Amino acid sequence: MALNVQALSSQLVVKVKKVVGLQQPEYCYQCAKCTSGCTSAKVIPEYKPHLIVALTKLGYIDELLESGIFWACSECWKCSEFCPQEVSPVETIIALKNIACLLGVKPPKAIQEMAKNVIETGYIQNPMEITTKDFELVSRDELGLPKIEKPYKPNEWKKKLSLRFRGVDL
Amino acid sequence: MKDKKFLLYLGCTIPTKQYAYEISVRAVLPKLGIELVEFEGASCCGFPLKGIDRKAWIYMSARVLALAGQYKLPILVLCNGCDVSLRETRHFLDKYPELKNEISEMLREEGLELNNNVNIVHTIEILHDVIGVEKIKASIVKPLSNLKIASYPGCHALRPTEIPRPENAMNPVKIDNIIRALGAETEDYPDKRGCCGATMLPYSPESAIKTSAAKIRIMKDYGFDAAVTSCPYCMEMLDVKQDVAKNLLEDEEISLPIFYLTQLVGLSMGLKPEELGLNLNMSPVEDILERLEV
Repeated sequence: MALNVQALSSQLVVKVKKVVGLQQPEYCYQCAKCTSGCTSAKVIPEYKPHLIVALTKLGYIDELLESGIFWACSECWKCSEFCPQEVSPVETIIALKNIACLLGVKPPKAIQEMAKNVIETGYIQNPMEITTKDFELVSRDELGLPKIEKPYKPNEWKKKLSLRFRGVDL
Repeated sequence: MKDKKFLLYLGCTIPTKQYAYEISVRAVLPKLGIELVEFEGASCCGFPLKGIDRKAWIYMSARVLALAGQYKLPILVLCNGCDVSLRETRHFLDKYPELKNEISEMLREEGLELNNNVNIVHTIEILHDVIGVEKIKASIVKPLSNLKIASYPGCHALRPTEIPRPENAMNPVKIDNIIRALGAETEDYPDKRGCCGATMLPYSPESAIKTSAAKIRIMKDYGFDAAVTSCPYCMEMLDVKQDVAKNLLEDEEISLPIFYLTQLVGLSMGLKPEELGLNLNMSPVEDILERLEV
């Protein structure tokens, strides 16, 4: 029986294209220029953006989600510049990340932590005490920096984001 | 120079951790005729949420733009990540009217009005395009002579090219022009337009470290005495984690002084290292300070 590529490609590609962005996986002809210039591929050999785009076109969502490999993307946008087909693999990869979260697949721990902090405080982390070259612990205040301003109506974004992130157990 | 007053947007990493950037910006820019206005009510641009939900990220950025719009001033953005977030959000809101309506409605509920016309200026642009190389040159009291310094703009200062970026993606020259104006030398090197690997950290810290270490090795191979960047994430990877890279890869050669662009400009203007937060740089910047006799 012949493989019905058309039928396979439709579902996941449609989902990917629905995420806000400029993703066009359908135009990929597998030249692998993206992978040859990729920041992450240089240090993570199993990470191949052209393969992720191919699997997306073929609708292999379970395999993609199980591998979680798309979280290895550095989001440096080189693939987007080098793609002769304006596929912009990075856009497809960000869409896959979004779809994974929507389906309840947790992102890497550090991303969960950062997102939690942004929602809770409006910043990636609370102002830290950092060490100087001479191992002295210093705060913003001790460095003579002004106090951090309180963000505008934090409860508003907390409410909206927690609604949006219903599928993500952060 | 037309605009002199700028709304200072710090983002989330600079005001909570990368203090040297903020210290040097506050010390240097006013001396070059820029008035910085404090941004009340600002929060993170939403960049850390991008992988989870791109719309949530756009909403957070649009919120920052709406708040900034109330000041009727151009906004000075220090972080490459914030710069790409705000400009990409503006691009998406212009491109997709439906999204724009949805985000406007979300903001209206909070008493905010969407503002897609805020003038966004990055550190590289305020130094190179607003203040200008000539004015920087005129303010130099201590030229950075006999030093070869690598320009490292960071990936998000260059790409994506669908939106305006502070530097040209194929041929970034603004930081180079500033380095030369300060009296130092520079040249192109492989991977100058590369990425520090910071976004890879949550997935594989070791791979991320290998990426930044490779940058430092190339810079050393090309005979650079130091490197300069304008992104807090590049600074985290190249400067703060330099010792980690050295230990992980067991390579003593991974050792290079890394500066913020504003720190370097400040040094040439005769500001003292502590006025520029240079005691917070973890890389061996003291080697350069000794050579400059400061």
